[in-house]
Amino acid sequence: HPWETVTTAAMQKYPNPMNPSVVGVDVLARHVDPSGKLHSHRLLSTEWGIPSIVKSLIGTCRTKTYVQEHSVVDPVKKTMELKSSNISFTNLVSVDERLVYKPHPHEPDKTILTQEAIISVKGVSLSSYLEGLMANTISSNANKGREALEWVINRLNAEIEEFTASARGTMRNSMAAAAFVEK
Amino acid sequence: MNSVGEACTELKREYDQCFNRWFAEKFLKGESTGDPCGQLFKRYQLCVQKAIKEKDIPIEGLEFMGPSKGKTENSS
Repeated sequence: HPWETVTTAAMQKYPNPMNPSVVGVDVLARHVDPSGKLHSHRLLSTEWGIPSIVKSLIGTCRTKTYVQEHSVVDPVKKTMELKSSNISFTNLVSVDERLVYKPHPHEPDKTILTQEAIISVKGVSLSSYLEGLMANTISSNANKGREALEWVINRLNAEIEEFTASARGTMRNSMAAAAFVEK
Repeated sequence: MNSVGEACTELKREYDQCFNRWFAEKFLKGESTGDPCGQLFKRYQLCVQKAIKEKDIPIEGLEFMGPSKGKTENSS
């Protein structure tokens, strides 16, 4: 999919069926900087389905974990960078993730995603088994991320289709037609 | 998608709709001036900030900035 489509979908990534644990997204701050790049700071709330007995022990308010995400969209250079890190359990583990979406250098209708994650566990040296396990999880999560965006893009296209059917001769109508031709 | 503060979900939805439209139709096409969502964002933000305090969520070093500082607020 072209970069604009992927970027629009990435801004509306949640909810999607591939990430059922993300239960809340909020924008904390957003501004366009002097160079024209859009910065957004978001808070993501996740719920991991902790067994009810654990919930009753730790109190139901505390079963949510939180992640903060900073994204930068450059509409001129066509890059979208997302950096996220956990803000819950930082005394135990740090998960830092960085994703960059750019147009494919040779195929303009496609987008390339590069994704990296750094996981540090405090005070525990990671054995090679654990590292292997995490590497597998990260790469299958990367696939899940792509599937999630695919799902969002399909949903957005379906909404455009619905809108086109009911609106005639408007600007949006001609935009929707362009999006379909592109696809 | 819900907000972290249950009471803010409706405000969030209104703001999101405005923002998503502006993002796809203006910003990505190179028109980043003007901010039609400023008022919606302010109301949504007040609610979210309150919810974050109430739930004691550890946000550090993030300034609660308003939308498009320095740009003229033209409602379009």
